[in-house]
Amino acid sequence: MTDDWPPVVMGIVTDPVEIARSAAALAQCERNWDWLEAHASDVYSHRGKYICIAGQQLFVGDVLEDVLARAKAAHPDDRGLFTRYIPKERMPRIYANRGIVEAM
Amino acid sequence: MRIEGSWKLCDDGVLRPVILAEMTPGDGSRFEAPFLVDTGADRTVLSADVLRALNVQPIGGICPIAGVGGQAASVVVDTAIEMRREDRTLVSFKGRFLAATDPTTLDMSVLGREITNLFAVIVDRPGDVVCLLGGGHRYQIVQGPPPSS
Repeated sequence: MTDDWPPVVMGIVTDPVEIARSAAALAQCERNWDWLEAHASDVYSHRGKYICIAGQQLFVGDVLEDVLARAKAAHPDDRGLFTRYIPKERMPRIYANRGIVEAM
Repeated sequence: MRIEGSWKLCDDGVLRPVILAEMTPGDGSRFEAPFLVDTGADRTVLSADVLRALNVQPIGGICPIAGVGGQAASVVVDTAIEMRREDRTLVSFKGRFLAATDPTTLDMSVLGREITNLFAVIVDRPGDVVCLLGGGHRYQIVQGPPPSS
């Protein structure tokens, strides 16, 4: 693992307008995620596809940009939308990456 | 400082520790991205769908990363990951992050130790707790009965 990676700079945003906007986005996102979990069997049946949940509605497709465009067009005010790629196969996942191997 | 996450249901029926963060693409719009709290990850890695939604120009070329499944291609991007504190203020993590280029590499972005090392990380399934604790907050381990479910 290389040690010369530039450090992350942590900052605090205190602008009340920005905080209110972000809190509203998080609330929308949580509603979208709750909706996903309530419809998990349907949402997660789209294996090998991109999904987007916006306005508590599912958008599915092979091309992420297309899925996002449809979701944003249908729910332009939803700042809590999120995307996922649904893996083709169900299997135990070991996510931990062990760092960068080398530059190519 | 306390940044709260939660256990989220994934496609395989497994609950995983996740923190929701806000991302800002180049066009100024916003979207949310779930980050897996992965104490084994050396680096934060954005999933391929987040990379594409960000629509930012990678810095340099392909950068291989290694995991249990072998090596995978990634790129490096400059971006900010914003999370919410307990008082609703935002914490911004700006820097250089890896991003997977193949959607099959990661189905969810991973929060790595260049961020989690800034905090005490609590990933407690029996207690239903996922959080990052920083200055002003700490945790205490006590002997006693397990938390009621």
